[in-house]
Amino acid sequence: MRAKDLLTLEGASRADLREVLDLARDYASGTLDRPLLGKTVCLSFFEASTRTAVSFELAARRAGADVISLSEKGSSIQKGEGLVDTIVTLDSLGADAIVLRHPAAGAARIAALHTDAAVINAGDGRGQHPTQALLDLHALSGRFGGFEELEGRKVAVVGDVLHSRVARSIIPAFQAAGMQLAIVAPSTLLPLEAGAWGLPVLPSVDDAIDWGADVLYALRLQKERMTGGSPRVPSVGEYARYYGVARRHLEDGAVVMHPGPVNRGVEVAGDVVLDPSSLIADQVGSGVAVRSAVLALATGVARSRVAA
Amino acid sequence: MTHHAPTNIPTNGPGELVVRGAHVLDPSSGLDGVMDVRVLEGRIAEVGKDLKGTRTLEADGLHLFPGFVDVHAHWRTPGREDEETIETGSAAAAAGGFTSVVMMPNTDPVIDRPVVVSGLVRRIERESRVRAYVSAALHEGLKGERLTEMRLMREAGAFCVSDDGLGTQSAGVLRNAMLYAKDAGMPVILHCEDHTLATGVVHDGVAAALAGLPGSPGSAEDVATATALVLAAETGAKVHVTHVSTALSAALVGFFKGSVSGVDVTADTTPHHLTLTDDLVRTLEGMYRVNPPLRPEADKLSVGEALRDGILDFVATDHAPHASEEKDLPLEEAAPGFLGHETAFSALYTEMVLGGGLSLERLVGAMASAPGRWVDDGARRLESGASADLALVDLSEEWTVRAEGLLSRSGNSPYIGRTLKGRIVATMVGGELVQDRTGARFGLRA
Ligand SMILES: [Zn+2]
Repeated sequence: MRAKDLLTLEGASRADLREVLDLARDYASGTLDRPLLGKTVCLSFFEASTRTAVSFELAARRAGADVISLSEKGSSIQKGEGLVDTIVTLDSLGADAIVLRHPAAGAARIAALHTDAAVINAGDGRGQHPTQALLDLHALSGRFGGFEELEGRKVAVVGDVLHSRVARSIIPAFQAAGMQLAIVAPSTLLPLEAGAWGLPVLPSVDDAIDWGADVLYALRLQKERMTGGSPRVPSVGEYARYYGVARRHLEDGAVVMHPGPVNRGVEVAGDVVLDPSSLIADQVGSGVAVRSAVLALATGVARSRVAA
Repeated sequence: MTHHAPTNIPTNGPGELVVRGAHVLDPSSGLDGVMDVRVLEGRIAEVGKDLKGTRTLEADGLHLFPGFVDVHAHWRTPGREDEETIETGSAAAAAGGFTSVVMMPNTDPVIDRPVVVSGLVRRIERESRVRAYVSAALHEGLKGERLTEMRLMREAGAFCVSDDGLGTQSAGVLRNAMLYAKDAGMPVILHCEDHTLATGVVHDGVAAALAGLPGSPGSAEDVATATALVLAAETGAKVHVTHVSTALSAALVGFFKGSVSGVDVTADTTPHHLTLTDDLVRTLEGMYRVNPPLRPEADKLSVGEALRDGILDFVATDHAPHASEEKDLPLEEAAPGFLGHETAFSALYTEMVLGGGLSLERLVGAMASAPGRWVDDGARRLESGASADLALVDLSEEWTVRAEGLLSRSGNSPYIGRTLKGRIVATMVGGELVQDRTGARFGLRA
């Protein structure tokens, strides 16, 4: 039987999301009896990402899997081996799941064509980062009292949507969960077709609060967006003034999220990162259980009830 | 939303005044005939026949126009107050019938930070005789590399953004700057010049060839104009192309306005490009260096036709004062730029209206109505309720331009020594006379 890849959350159904989150909740509450015992999970990171790699590794080991990591220095990836060759090699080594991080959108989809192992997209270029959106939903469900409670909540996605794979996963995932979305970003950090998602585009976080945002989801701003051949943001000061989440935005109960790592004082004011209204720590904390659940479903050790 | 019109002009002007018997001409309200205008508390109270008021200004034989608007001026403040100050620049503007002026950001320091904008706004409030709007820099230091804090500068009182003086050499930077300016709610004034082509000091034409001067081809402007228009169409930014000086650039503007959807583009040309040609560089005098350079007769005529037909929306002077030590030099070493405020109407009336190239109505439209709409979104018209921003003009007066007679702190007018017809008699901003030569001529009857 073909393994169940997790390549994208575009087109994910409510039931798809629910299944992962239910299993993750079970795992998080301790009913994790080494379901991946005897399975081999390969981490192949073509792009540095300590946080995501560590989270996946912990998720795989806690679930009892053997882990091969190709992310370290000196690995074949560091020596410039191509995507397909790496995937074919891992396939030959008997991988049951391949967790792939790659700088180009669509890499996970191509990888899946060359292996029978389950391919888990751990972030491909500006494309998708599905497990991030799933752990976000897990953290949100925890905060709002369950997945069903997310229905109708309003989320403002703030910042660099143009370059963000996180945005491309959370937008369809949050919508599938019944949440309402808006984008807050300068046109320079949006595609030219800013209406591609059919979402309202607001000019500042202040406007997002006026719109009624329950959640302010801040995206990471790369510093190089201010310089180089294509400057998109004038300064930290101006960015923080209009697109930074500040304490005043949280006074009426909105919560702040960020996929990390946070540039304090840029996307989120320093005094807000660890505030009780911040879900940032919960997001990180949700990662292991959610990724264990994803691996269990992908390798088939947890039987999916959702029709493929 | 805050508006960015200067606040120094009192709307409670000096009581009541009736301007009697002038020929009122305002293309935007359709007025064209002899009538009276009653001004009360800074606003036009009434336009009609036989109006009475506590004070009257007898204006038989004169013309009354809406105040002129100049969207392109260099008042050299801050940094080169030896060449022009807000006081002298605004006095020169008032002497030319201008009631609103946009100040360009290529000063020292460049107007590229909110604190510089707010400092300039405060100085304008204290020192300007006319309404002055701040154009902030489109990119940091006008270097074409980093965007400026446009939203914060707008909050500090900037009206628009511009790359004037230098242009933007990278299309990628220009595109992002347009997108960002659009978000900031500010129009963009563009100086279209490609530095890889603009390597000379005068137009690359017959005069340059014969005089032995390094020429910049028309393409230096046209390539950059095309780039700007393409990006304006793609981004939807509100873009104003300033000092259009070639036939091809004017045609490009016309094409984009007429045939490309989604463009929000306007354009101006200058009095000197409409009235002077590159023959003048045969003198080799530093005075005649200007950027964009004076062009051949064919370009001058095409640009004039484009203005007549509305392809070019209005006139802007590019008033660019320079100290004599920067102009009294061989042309190749001189600073580029001409004074513009005080001679603009007279030069255009003499050369274009009396020369048959432009109607008086279109000239008033090009100096007042169209640029007035651009800065004020149509608020300024000669009708009751509107702010009393007016220019009173004697079309029959002949005068010879002399440096010592100009109110600008500098003397670099290319019209020095020329006799022009038509002269501003009085200029009123918010009901207040900011330029007043009526005393010598008519007397103000209280
Ligand atoms: Zn200029």
